[in-house]
Amino acid sequence: MVAAVPVNQSQKPLAGIRVVELSQGVAAAYCGRLLAVLGAEVTLLEPPGGHRLRAEPPFLPGAAGSSALFAYLAAGKRSYVHEADAGLGVVPDELLREAHILVHDVPVAETEAQGLDSETLAQRFPNLINLSVLPFGAQGPKADWRAEEINAIHAAGEGFLLPNGLSVELFPDRPPLKIYGHFAAVQAGVAAALGALSALWVGKGQSVDVSVQDAALAVGCFAIQRLGDGSVEHRAGRSFKYGGVLECRDGFVEVLTLEERQWQGMVELMDRPAWATDGTLDDPLERSRRGAELNGHIRAWARQHEVAEIVGRAQALGVPMARYNAPADVLNGPHERARGLFQTVEVDGAGPTPMLVAPFHFGGAPLRLRGGPPALGADGPVTMTETSLQARAAR
Amino acid sequence: MKPLSGIRIADFTVHAAGPFFTHMLSQLGAECIKIESALRPDIFRKPHPVYGRNGPASFDQVASNKLSVRINLKHPDGVALAKRLVAASDVAAESFRPGVMNRLGLSYDELRKVKQDIVMVSVSSSGQSGPDSHFAGYAPLFGAWGGLGYLTGYADGPPVEMRHVMDHSVGLNAAMATIAALLQRRRTGEGTHVDVAAREVASAAIGEALLEAAAGGTPRRMGNGDLRMSPHGAFATRDPDRWLTIAVDDDRQWLAFAALIEQAGRTVDANFESASYRQTHQVLVDELVAGWAAQQDAEEAARLLQSHGIPAHVSWTTEDIAADPHLRARRTIIDVAEPDGRMRAAIGVPIRFSETSDVGIVRGTPRLGEDEDYVFGELLGIGAAERQRLADAQIIY
Repeated sequence: MVAAVPVNQSQKPLAGIRVVELSQGVAAAYCGRLLAVLGAEVTLLEPPGGHRLRAEPPFLPGAAGSSALFAYLAAGKRSYVHEADAGLGVVPDELLREAHILVHDVPVAETEAQGLDSETLAQRFPNLINLSVLPFGAQGPKADWRAEEINAIHAAGEGFLLPNGLSVELFPDRPPLKIYGHFAAVQAGVAAALGALSALWVGKGQSVDVSVQDAALAVGCFAIQRLGDGSVEHRAGRSFKYGGVLECRDGFVEVLTLEERQWQGMVELMDRPAWATDGTLDDPLERSRRGAELNGHIRAWARQHEVAEIVGRAQALGVPMARYNAPADVLNGPHERARGLFQTVEVDGAGPTPMLVAPFHFGGAPLRLRGGPPALGADGPVTMTETSLQARAAR
Repeated sequence: MKPLSGIRIADFTVHAAGPFFTHMLSQLGAECIKIESALRPDIFRKPHPVYGRNGPASFDQVASNKLSVRINLKHPDGVALAKRLVAASDVAAESFRPGVMNRLGLSYDELRKVKQDIVMVSVSSSGQSGPDSHFAGYAPLFGAWGGLGYLTGYADGPPVEMRHVMDHSVGLNAAMATIAALLQRRRTGEGTHVDVAAREVASAAIGEALLEAAAGGTPRRMGNGDLRMSPHGAFATRDPDRWLTIAVDDDRQWLAFAALIEQAGRTVDANFESASYRQTHQVLVDELVAGWAAQQDAEEAARLLQSHGIPAHVSWTTEDIAADPHLRARRTIIDVAEPDGRMRAAIGVPIRFSETSDVGIVRGTPRLGEDEDYVFGELLGIGAAERQRLADAQIIY
């Protein structure tokens, strides 16, 4: 186990950075979450009825109506309740004056009424980084289009290319598939944090425009690259020629042998069957050509074995193989525990619950969340002062 | 000026995740010096028959913008040369298996001796610590270990392999964490070692499912389904393999959609006006929507639904994306020239800055060792005779 190193908030990478978050969707909220775990003070502004994602499934079992999604995304943030008349603008000047970064996903058409358009913000808060995270961005012909996760990941191309491998072999006629959860929005959250921190590095206020479609497309860039090389990808053909998802007696594993020595290790793992050792498969291109035939053998072999048995031997033989871990496997994984991937935080209705902290360590130790998700308005109501009200009335 | 102008990266990364990480920073203006050797070129310069063809798979996109030098790290003088480069850099980036940099004599502690405030960023499949840290892995394995692969797939089907999006998500996280470390260095004067674990990046994408599991729940594969929204899915349209994604977020959107379906001559069950009814009768709702969608031109239908405030988009092919006016207006898709002058579409950096319009790719893939005059000559001040000696000794090689 990693020793529980008490991390003082002031020692975290982004100590002293103040962020105001006005979000409805996952992308902007995940950006705020990353900044919070890195040590920024993130103020989540919620309407009196609570953030939209507080009512979004999945819910925590046994905790009526407590959203696991909101809990994960809001952990470590402070919650303030803003005034109800959102149409007139809900972010008080006082907060923006103190903030380094405003992250929001206010639709372009509504920014002006809210006093959050780039021009107004640049004029009134010249040092503020105004970070907009929208499905199609704040500029361009589709800036006003809406998208939920399934629309965004298909607008970015990866949706059309999934599933692949065994799944598309089994179900070639089914609709293309999204990745579980909010993968595209999460990419946008990371890209948004990268954009905000890059602007912070420059050290002067500006507007930063991040789109979920752009971010998901950026991580899918190889499809565009291959188009330039003259090959158009399709989910039916985007499978490794051999290997991939294998069904074992008690679950699934993934195997991928890109290197010659890895293939040789795979042959060892299968106890050198005759079909693999007759010499004709020593040529990698021949293996590729006869991929379907190889897969027939490999899959038949896998079905005779248990996951733990072959995964352990595979790694010892230098064969890249992994168990398809269910969430509970990840949660209880010895490796994850040793690295302190989870931190027990207080979650409303569920009590102390392990929550994923962040996918990186700093200085040889995991980061630590400031706490779990805040109760609605835990850090107080936001009251508009006279100057805020006057500025709002002037719009 | 680009946001990261003035930041220099000594880039030891190979494969996909690491090079994408430094590719992001290079597009934001960092000077990225890619270190390889003729003995050990980046494996992505080489072909991979397992992909079904024998040409280099995917090197150009992530190598663009970078400067290329050769250093033979198998030789002690090569390690010394690499350290001189690190001493002149802000960031040392690497993506070898954990332990390799130590064996080469390029551990964080060694690098700190030549550059006290260096930010070292290590990208690996399972991280620098923990019982699995020595495991080899690629994107599909990261997805498998991290739980994302298990949860992705049809409800009655197997898990799904994550592909390059997984590698690149790791790179995007590493790029973001690097700037956080640089900001920390600016505030404290201290460097740090950032350790990015690819399987944890996969897990971070399903943080809510892991929390659900921690509270006793059992998240499962559910295809294109959603726990709240209905209809929610990819629907076949009148053209083959042309799919329309639709996600109805609330009852107001449903009423607008129902009116469109009725205009097309179909009867809509009034019970569907309730979101919870639609959720519990997804099969019936999907049947109705599928019947409507099957008559539609996908792009026209997407525009129609959007004009009524309903989230919809065609499941786009790569060709659709490369030609899209919106993505080109945003400079997300740009055209770049190959060394042979041929133009191809490429992806820029997914961030627009109001004060900087020139982020993105400015030059294509460097030839191995193309930038040694600048890096070894100008930057490190190594004279011609010394460079020749290093070349003869197969250190610059």
